Amino acid sequence: MTSSALTRPGERERLSVKLAQLDWRVIGLLTFLAGVGTLMLYSLGKLSWEPWAAKHLIRYGFLLVALICMAMIHPKWWFRSAYPLYGVLLIMVALVDFTPLGYTAGGAKNWLNLGVIRIQPAEFMKIGLVLALARWYHSHSAQEARWSWKLLIPAGMIGVPFLLVAAQPDLGSAMIIGLTGAAMMVIAGLSWRVIGAAVAAAVAFIPPFVLFVMHDYQRNRVLNFLNPEMDPSGTGYNIIQSKIAVGSGGLLGKGFGLGSQSQLEFLPERHTDFIFSTVGEEFGFIGSFTVLVCYAILILIALRISNLSHSHFGRIAAAGMIAFFALFVLINGAMVMGLAPVVGVPMPLLSYGGSSMMTVMIGFGLIMSVHVHRYAELSKGNGLI
Amino acid sequence: MSSEPQLFFTDVNERQALFLRRTVIFGGATLAGVGLLVGRLAQLQLFQTQQYATLSTRNQFNFRMVPPPRGLIKDRHGVTIAGNRPSFRVLVVRDETKDLDQTLDLLGRLLPDTLERRRTIIREVNAAPRFSPVPIKSDLTWEEFSKVNLHAADLPGVMADMNEARYYPYGGAYAHVVGYVAKVSDNDVKAMRERGEEIPSILYNPGYRIGRQGVEKALDEPLRGEAGGNRVEVDVRGRVVAEDTAGSKPAVQGSEVVLTLDNDVQQRALEVFGEEAGSIVVMDVRNGDILAMVSSPSFDPNLFVSGVPTRIYRALADYERRPLTDKALAGTFAPGSTFKPVVGLAAMKRGLDPSRRIVCNGSFYLGRRFACLGRHGALDLRGAIKASCNVYFMTLATEMGPDAIAETSRDMGFGQTFDIGISGQKAGLVPDREWKRRTYSGEQKTWFPGETPSYGIGQGALTVNALQLAVYTSRIANGRKAVKPRLIKSIGGVEQTSSAFEDLPFEPQMLQVLRDGMEAVTAAGGTGFRNSQLGLGTVKMAGKTGTAQARNYGAGSRKGAGRPWAEKDHNLFVAYAPTDNPRYAVSVIVQHGGLGGGTAGAPRAREVMKVALLKDPEMRARIEQAGFEAPEDAGAREAEARGEPIDSPVIDAAAPPPLVEPGQ
Repeated sequence: MTSSALTRPGERERLSVKLAQLDWRVIGLLTFLAGVGTLMLYSLGKLSWEPWAAKHLIRYGFLLVALICMAMIHPKWWFRSAYPLYGVLLIMVALVDFTPLGYTAGGAKNWLNLGVIRIQPAEFMKIGLVLALARWYHSHSAQEARWSWKLLIPAGMIGVPFLLVAAQPDLGSAMIIGLTGAAMMVIAGLSWRVIGAAVAAAVAFIPPFVLFVMHDYQRNRVLNFLNPEMDPSGTGYNIIQSKIAVGSGGLLGKGFGLGSQSQLEFLPERHTDFIFSTVGEEFGFIGSFTVLVCYAILILIALRISNLSHSHFGRIAAAGMIAFFALFVLINGAMVMGLAPVVGVPMPLLSYGGSSMMTVMIGFGLIMSVHVHRYAELSKGNGLI
Repeated sequence: MSSEPQLFFTDVNERQALFLRRTVIFGGATLAGVGLLVGRLAQLQLFQTQQYATLSTRNQFNFRMVPPPRGLIKDRHGVTIAGNRPSFRVLVVRDETKDLDQTLDLLGRLLPDTLERRRTIIREVNAAPRFSPVPIKSDLTWEEFSKVNLHAADLPGVMADMNEARYYPYGGAYAHVVGYVAKVSDNDVKAMRERGEEIPSILYNPGYRIGRQGVEKALDEPLRGEAGGNRVEVDVRGRVVAEDTAGSKPAVQGSEVVLTLDNDVQQRALEVFGEEAGSIVVMDVRNGDILAMVSSPSFDPNLFVSGVPTRIYRALADYERRPLTDKALAGTFAPGSTFKPVVGLAAMKRGLDPSRRIVCNGSFYLGRRFACLGRHGALDLRGAIKASCNVYFMTLATEMGPDAIAETSRDMGFGQTFDIGISGQKAGLVPDREWKRRTYSGEQKTWFPGETPSYGIGQGALTVNALQLAVYTSRIANGRKAVKPRLIKSIGGVEQTSSAFEDLPFEPQMLQVLRDGMEAVTAAGGTGFRNSQLGLGTVKMAGKTGTAQARNYGAGSRKGAGRPWAEKDHNLFVAYAPTDNPRYAVSVIVQHGGLGGGTAGAPRAREVMKVALLKDPEMRARIEQAGFEAPEDAGAREAEARGEPIDSPVIDAAAPPPLVEPGQ
């Protein structure tokens, strides 16, 4: 093994060496979770590979290959592409907002129609933001990261896409962008006093935001979260049915393919946002606890990886990806168990859906790249490229 | 902080150390978050799991009510007179239709008559609960049923199924006594609630029918049965995914109700009416069993089961002969001359010697002249009944006064209702002094002597119904017991017995006198002779004719010939047979019918009585043994000599004048 810093020059750049450096614990956990997702989708498809399970598994296979490929890429390339990528994605988000290329689906105008392909720039914006913030922090001191006027720049890098995406209105993505950015600023060293002040401001700001700025359907989600029994057949239905699914699972669950809430379609969005409820229903406390523990271990291993990086870019980028992943897990988990309002946040690797899995796998590709190249030093990084 | 050079090595270390601290905090926060989720999982899945399991089961399983088959109603010989038949119907489930209007358009092409009722259908469908099927047409033909099934794929939310519908195979024959079932209305539910009854949920089932009249109404509860349930697994759209046979409960059919009616007698009784209006009651004089109870004209109760069209209902309700009214129980009429035996009985009870003779010279005077329609000369009681002499009974009535007549009337069954298990009886009125005091004010409170002669011939305020007339005749024929009528023979196999009959408060020989008189009525020279010959050999019928004024006549014919229907007299007849050993009593009221005397009531009574007798095995044996030839009868020969066939039907305006003066 060439885990020492004292290896021959060029030794670490050999592909076989790099491949050997892949963290198989991470890949194992990712595969396990994607496998659980496939299992659940097989069950939800009335014990059939169609229409979801096969696609989910194939998609994961491709993305796992992509992840390994990305892990081979030297972080300097991530570093150099950070600002241009961020810029291009920001323009695409703006195009969705302000030009007829924006395409409406499911109540929010969040698709970009490029003629040959339709993409959701907001999904990729999250990755672009993580890379851009990592690059910015790479070239700034601890003192600047704590508290200085220069923090207006990362704040702006977060704020602009947040507002653009929120205007689509894709509240889920905007929230993830905002929270991921905020988490990165905190991890990079933002002063506790500033954090305290920001939290206080947010607490003061949320109620008027809910009452006056949100769209009706968004406000309903929040109000229904606070009191789902208010309208059990209408907007509160999702939360109630999801709680019934999870709760009725009990300790051991109803058994594979036997979840009545899921199989008889009482549970809405059961193959996407509410798939964790199906895990809870069919595999019970034991199953859902195991899944949550896997997520927690994955996050802790990734955090450890981030700390081993020799470059600050690597550290911050990996931490950003972890924050982003952890937010998905926690928000989705809280949502399906009635602890958070219903926002369109999927459970990573479990939920069916290409773009969410792609974002997560790209994120872990970056983390893995940071791990494989943990000894790599990066330039100071002034300039745009 | 120093600004030159920008990044000191120490600063790099400081930045890394800061990051490490923050990642530890971040890791801790993540663990706390996951811990919170695990805690919530434990709360939902370990501590509250029972509650959520219940909710889940409630989602998953649905109890589909299975309506119970209604109990059968049978006649005394086991003939089903109210049964159930399979009926194909089309139902619509609102939430499974994509667009109700469009679905009804398509359905209208298959079943054109649903278009006519479209607004009603939409109202009913919208009023029903979300996933509950609403029947929109029942009694489909097989072709219609298959057409709907064939196009089922194009008609989401429409289904065709088979259920049981109430069926009355004999149509109008039992329309009043057995009644009918109909849709449950809001009023039914309200009435039940007011009575403090528990409302069974089956009542809300759209196909359910409730008893509306007669036996169906009175015995609705035992006939109803017990609803079953199918436990079915449903998906979120309410579609049945699977049936859980272990959790299902079969429906229990309602109790079988057996009536004392005899189907053949009942049918004959309706048949003989033709277009005429009126009622017939046939009773067994020994035990009070009602063999027939008919009101004419009748209607088809099957119409009411699936909802009678307004047009037909209006026609029935507006027809002046009132088919919807049960005339046997609720039609009260003056008994006319059929009441005369009561007056004779009352007088005998007060010491009249039945052989006492009273001279009739055609008139009776009390303040004014009361006419008798003949000059009968000196008559005893038997002769007075035979001739139906007004003077005789007016004389007795004035001697006794109204209270004596009233007392005997009540003893014979008038002025009261009987508990026969169904409602709708009217007691009629037996007037006396007390009644006048109670009902009127001022001068009218007193009984005027001038009212008594009419009372003596069954006119005036006195009213009776056909059932009371049958009871009265049965009591005369029975001779000893105060027979009470019985209609319900058994419910669910449990025999419905009435308490033992009391003795009549009369000497048997008094009733024998009445029977002698009534035998004379149907013998040669009697008022009912011509139409009372059964032609069953030695088995003969005794009876009493009656004509009741329907209105006050000015000058002119009382016969009624040529008058509008509603102005003609009512014709009544009561009879029992056989004369030597009475078995059956019959009472007939023909509203505004015939030409007085034994013209309308008697022939009908004869026909019905014949069926009743021939169905009685003992009677049949006796008749067959003795032969159908009538024995030598001087009167019959006499009649034949004048060219009148004994058995000729008499409901004929062109018929020769009756043998006796009508008006009795």
